[in-house]
Amino acid sequence: MIFTIAFKELKERLREGRFRVMAIVMIALLAVAVMISNNYYQWVNRQHTEARENARSVWVSQDAKNPHSAAHYGTYAFKPKYPLSLIDQGIDKYAGVSIYLEGHTRNEARYMAAQDQAAISRFGDLTPDFVLLFIIPLFIILTGFDAFTSERESGTLRLLKSQGVSSVTLAAGKWLGLFAAVLLIIVPVFILSIYFLSKAKDFGEFNAGVLALLFLFYLAYYAVFSNLTLIVSAWAKKSGISLVVLLAVWMVACLGMPKAASRFAESISPYPTQSQFMAAVAEDERNGLDGHDPFSTQAKKLEEETLKKYGVDSLHKLPFNWDGYLMQRGEEHTAEIFDKHYGQLKTIHENQANVYRLASVLSPYLPARFLSMALCRTDYTAHAHFSDAAEKYRLALMDNLNTHFAENSKYGDWAYKADKSFYAGIPDFSYEPKSYGDIIHANLGGIGVLLAWLAVSALLVVWSVRKMNIL
Amino acid sequence: MADLKLKTDVIPNHNLNDMLEAKQLTKKYNDATALDAVSFTVNKGDIFCLLGANGAGKTTTINLFLNFIQPTGGEALINGLSVTAHSLETKKLLSYIPENLILYPNLTGLENLEYFSGLAGKKYSKDECKKFLTEAGLQEEAHSRKASHYSKGMRQKVGIAIALAKNAAVLLLDEPTSGLDPKASNEFSELLTKLSALGVATLMATHDLFRAKETGTHIGIMKEGRLLELLTTSHVNHTDLEKLYLKHMN
Repeated sequence: MIFTIAFKELKERLREGRFRVMAIVMIALLAVAVMISNNYYQWVNRQHTEARENARSVWVSQDAKNPHSAAHYGTYAFKPKYPLSLIDQGIDKYAGVSIYLEGHTRNEARYMAAQDQAAISRFGDLTPDFVLLFIIPLFIILTGFDAFTSERESGTLRLLKSQGVSSVTLAAGKWLGLFAAVLLIIVPVFILSIYFLSKAKDFGEFNAGVLALLFLFYLAYYAVFSNLTLIVSAWAKKSGISLVVLLAVWMVACLGMPKAASRFAESISPYPTQSQFMAAVAEDERNGLDGHDPFSTQAKKLEEETLKKYGVDSLHKLPFNWDGYLMQRGEEHTAEIFDKHYGQLKTIHENQANVYRLASVLSPYLPARFLSMALCRTDYTAHAHFSDAAEKYRLALMDNLNTHFAENSKYGDWAYKADKSFYAGIPDFSYEPKSYGDIIHANLGGIGVLLAWLAVSALLVVWSVRKMNIL
Repeated sequence: MADLKLKTDVIPNHNLNDMLEAKQLTKKYNDATALDAVSFTVNKGDIFCLLGANGAGKTTTINLFLNFIQPTGGEALINGLSVTAHSLETKKLLSYIPENLILYPNLTGLENLEYFSGLAGKKYSKDECKKFLTEAGLQEEAHSRKASHYSKGMRQKVGIAIALAKNAAVLLLDEPTSGLDPKASNEFSELLTKLSALGVATLMATHDLFRAKETGTHIGIMKEGRLLELLTTSHVNHTDLEKLYLKHMN
């Protein structure tokens, strides 16, 4: 009987001009968004490959030079673009794509896509995640807002009820009919995505299971909106009222709450500005060990300790080049400072994430938003993971250079040059992103909230239709 | 409507003769009393006509039997079952035709019938459904047309077909003939008589004194929520009925 109702709902809708236009617009929007993203993805990927090969070849083909000069010469770490970012770009647009790796300092990722765009594009891009997270819920509302109200207004609800249909059966049928309409739109899009993703040449392999999981999360999100739509339609006296209430719900859930949550998060645990951050790092550095300044108090102290340890009375008698050693110790010291400050950024992020988790209770958009980014590896965590890996590589690289300098030259011998083969022998940066298992584990809270939304809203549907006025 | 065939075995076999019973049925909205302690019974094969002006409580009575609204006092029973306690079971026994029957405009008459009888748990082939529509008086060529093109009378006929297809033991009719032309109206009355002979108990709200006298077996005159008069139609002639009705209305 549920299927009889669902089938009739769908049949009726497919014959309705309003629905047909809406469905065609939705499919077109999504298809265009996927294709634009695919082009962008291919383009970024090509550039990425080119730039990466270029940076590496510049590094390996550098002339013989002092290892510390090479440290200042530097190289680049490039953040891979993941296949699923085709669906959800997350913060990618605002996070840089490459990190300049050099001695003495940890650089932020640079060259974000948003910098290259005109101001108008700040109003939003036509990306699949925009359509999937914002527009489809609107489509659900516009399709289902009159699910009960129109039947009550016309009187078919009375006839329906007189046939002996229980309210819950009716609601289940209506729900299925509404959801089928959603499936009609997003299934083709996901198939289209699978097609593009499976032939995309990428860095990480495309994981169909993860795409399926992402699809399930989106379905859960849409199920919540379908439930909300039926709840309001069951209570509203008129279709117009139902529509207005649902649009308000949409605005609060998809626009208001995310904005309010981010404001609140920022006021509770604000990020430092770039200049504040750099100033704090500089402050710590000033009081610390500078590899380039052998006359600072810290350097003098290290000098004394080292001489004592090796039982010699002059830097010349050390079994290694003191300059290289000092440089490496300075590097390690700076790394600690950066580690501390980046750690603080992570704490701030964690505090803000907690605010978003709390706000998720008030808006199903938030858990869906964060889950989607997390699975597509385009959230802050994924970016931080890459940034940390690049920093780790930078430190190993510096260690390599400084140690080579210290062990192969004499104190004061700044003219020492390491040859090409040494630089070519240093391994390239290779990056392994966080495993999907870890990502899912880290997002169990969000999954729980989304499922709770689903369960509670489903119970509310049952309760609402039982209380529903037939006349 | 000559070849109307009802599967009498589908009509539940009841020991009780009272198919419909209103016991001190009362409905109040805040201070206003829509229905005031109304009691009556409709036996198998009876056609009970509720007469009265608008707002007399006829529709309220029917809505109470449908359990669309809750009584403030008293109870409505169908086949001995309270409609509030056995909402779904009692609906299996009844068919309902409202005054202005609306169908799903994007579905054809046939699809509407298939849908509604499907919800009642009946499975009919397309041919059987078409037969019901024809029996209800809907022309063959209209069967596959969208209901948005139907006139009120045509929709009402689909409603009758829905009732026929359900094969119910009880008919609840809320001014069912108000949109029908005299011929269709007459055919409808014949149909009611036929169903009555098969044992169907009918409760019908109507303004039509003439039709009530012709078709009904019993008549109840209502005013301002109260049942003022209970008559057996065979005991009064049309003139007396009219006089009595007007006396109460004034």
